[in-house]
Amino acid sequence: MFKPIGKGFPGAMLSEVLLVSAPGKVILHGEHAVVHGKVALAVSLNLRTFLRLQPHSNGKVDLSLPNIGIKRAWDVARLQSLDASFLEQGDVTTPTSEQVEKLKEVAGLPDDCAVTERLAVQAFLYLYLSICRKQRALPSLDIVVWSELPPGAGLGSSAAYSVCLAAALLTVCEEIPNPLKDGDCVNRWTKEDLELINKWAFQGERMIHGNPSGVDNAVSTWGGALRYHQGKISSLKSKQESITSCVPDDAALGRRNGEMKLGSPALQILLTNTKVPRNTRALVAGVRNRLLKFPEIVAPLLTSIDAISLECERVLGEMGEAPAPEQYVVLEELIDMNQHHLNALGVGHASLDQLCQVTRARGLHSKLTGAGGGGCGITLLKPGLEQPEVEATKQALTSCGFDCLETSIGAPGVSIHSATSLDSRVQQALDGL
Amino acid sequence: MLSEVLLVSAPGKVILHGEHAVVHGKVALAVSLNLRTFLRLQPHSNGKVDLSLPNIGIKRAWDVARLQSLDASFLEQGDVTTPTSEQVEKLKEVAGLPDDCAVTERLAVQAFLYLYLSICRKQRWTKEDLELINKWAFQGERMIHGNPSGVDNAVSTWGGALRYHQGKISSLKRSPALQILLTNTKVPRNTRALVAGVRNRLLKFPEIVAPLLTSIDAISLECERVLGEMGEAPAPEQYVVLEELIDMNQHHLNALGVGHASLDQLCQVTRARGLHSKLTGAGGGGCGITLLKPGLEQPEVEATKQALTSCGFDCLETSIGAPGVSIHSATSLDSRVQQALDGL
Repeated sequence: MFKPIGKGFPGAMLSEVLLVSAPGKVILHGEHAVVHGKVALAVSLNLRTFLRLQPHSNGKVDLSLPNIGIKRAWDVARLQSLDASFLEQGDVTTPTSEQVEKLKEVAGLPDDCAVTERLAVQAFLYLYLSICRKQRALPSLDIVVWSELPPGAGLGSSAAYSVCLAAALLTVCEEIPNPLKDGDCVNRWTKEDLELINKWAFQGERMIHGNPSGVDNAVSTWGGALRYHQGKISSLKSKQESITSCVPDDAALGRRNGEMKLGSPALQILLTNTKVPRNTRALVAGVRNRLLKFPEIVAPLLTSIDAISLECERVLGEMGEAPAPEQYVVLEELIDMNQHHLNALGVGHASLDQLCQVTRARGLHSKLTGAGGGGCGITLLKPGLEQPEVEATKQALTSCGFDCLETSIGAPGVSIHSATSLDSRVQQALDGL
Repeated sequence: MLSEVLLVSAPGKVILHGEHAVVHGKVALAVSLNLRTFLRLQPHSNGKVDLSLPNIGIKRAWDVARLQSLDASFLEQGDVTTPTSEQVEKLKEVAGLPDDCAVTERLAVQAFLYLYLSICRKQRWTKEDLELINKWAFQGERMIHGNPSGVDNAVSTWGGALRYHQGKISSLKRSPALQILLTNTKVPRNTRALVAGVRNRLLKFPEIVAPLLTSIDAISLECERVLGEMGEAPAPEQYVVLEELIDMNQHHLNALGVGHASLDQLCQVTRARGLHSKLTGAGGGGCGITLLKPGLEQPEVEATKQALTSCGFDCLETSIGAPGVSIHSATSLDSRVQQALDGL
């Protein structure tokens, strides 16, 4: 482990290992309605993507993504020698199709490469070349990224990836300071630094998705809950975020006894993946068609969904350190009503009905999250539930053929960890075991 | 007076759309249900009035002479009037029922005696006749229910489909008869509690529930429009619309909190067979209707009925938009009905 050369030295770089993580996201309320100008609430999901960045002096840039079996390397010298004027200097910019073409060349991937791999590599190279350009020499790095998030399930896995890359690269290039202090297990960046991380993460998202809304990377950066309305992303009206250091044996962030205080309370949930594939575009078009066919019926329905989002925002804003049972009851009622509304919009599915029925039989309340037609659902776990009861519910959902994870929403955004504080499971995954 | 046997029948009713929302000023559509009540009236000269209701085991008789001798001025002469509590008390005496008599029997008997004494006092199925039937039927309903809306007797008298809005009842000009499955989950429910629950949800979440009720109103109006356009040969697209309206209203009723696991099961069983269902009435259990679009194979319908029956439900194949109160010739009635009237 080398000591840092010193801040402020031109081209100075950190040389110790960086460990960052960023959460996924779910839409709590407002999916589909948001397309028609209504308010949506997006919340961070405490299934996280972890990135380990190790500076080298071996003249290579290594990128490993164990979840999807990607392992690529590039010569720093070759990357350095590129006429990289195709990436503009200065501020964060929009990748053009020329830039994308050039990056494809640089990436040197075979023609039969899977789309996922191609996009992940291109996003990485774009961020690496753009962010690290200010260095006198492009750094040799070994980067491993591993995620708890299933890809392609609408849970923001690509945004979490982009956020981790942006945060790690900006930190290693000292564009933003490393907030981790001696004795810290975990820490987060300042508001201004998070804004820079988010800007670059959005660029990474644009490399992957073309025209994303920016909600996924914003939620992954900031954590907690965000409101999205007519193209504008803003925080919920709630308490200020504050950060505390954790005790050494609290390995993972924001787990059941999370230490982090957030803009909105962390709510325990089950995240269930029905694994039923769906065509998001078709589902969105179906809602539009239903609105066109039955405007007098569907327009007020969208208004009702808007009101559900607003009521949820209000309740979350009022939930303090010790939320009252009545507040959880309201959250459950809102979940139920929105689920019925989404069914009325035609984005339900038999698998989701089954999910809801299984949880309802145990007094729990669920709704689809995202596009519907299959995909994922969330189930609120109110306080006071006995763990055997939760286990029985997970078991019942699993025996329907679903994947079911116990996690939380309103989790902390992108964070930096000390090496010793990470869960051994995560360490092993990053070690490729 | 006539001296031959009279056989009359009248249909029941279901709410097609608008239940619960109607309490909050929205439009509801009520349709006649072709599960019918049959009445056989046989004039005698044995000096008795016999009333039998085999379904509920009621069999009572009164001496005509005794009834005739009553000071029946407690029933006003002339036009149709409102039964007062005095009249109800007098009728109780006349009925001579024991104190431990079941409420159902008491109310059925009182309604009968009220109508018998009032109508037959005078010396004597055009539109005017039906209006008269309906007026009296409403009176009978008031004896039984106290403060009914009048929708039920209107639908049973007129048949077809009616719109009910803010206390006003009007007929839909043309509405086709639609084949349905009527399924009774047999889950008991407290209508008052369900209605109150909706009101409470509206009070708790006005911005969420008010537009939901507006959406239900729009469903009733759209259904009214489609039914009015369905002529002799309704198009498949029109049935698709009816099915979409059924689905959306069922989700809305669930959102209002009047659903039930049994109704979810009903909907799921029919949906698995490409059929569309909704609760009808108060919810919380009770009945559901399933639209049977034309072109369904009978084995498919039978399989659906079987599947619903094995859930523990009662399931009947019938129609809605049926004819109202009708008079039948003796030979035209189903033998099953004849036997039932004969008490077999």
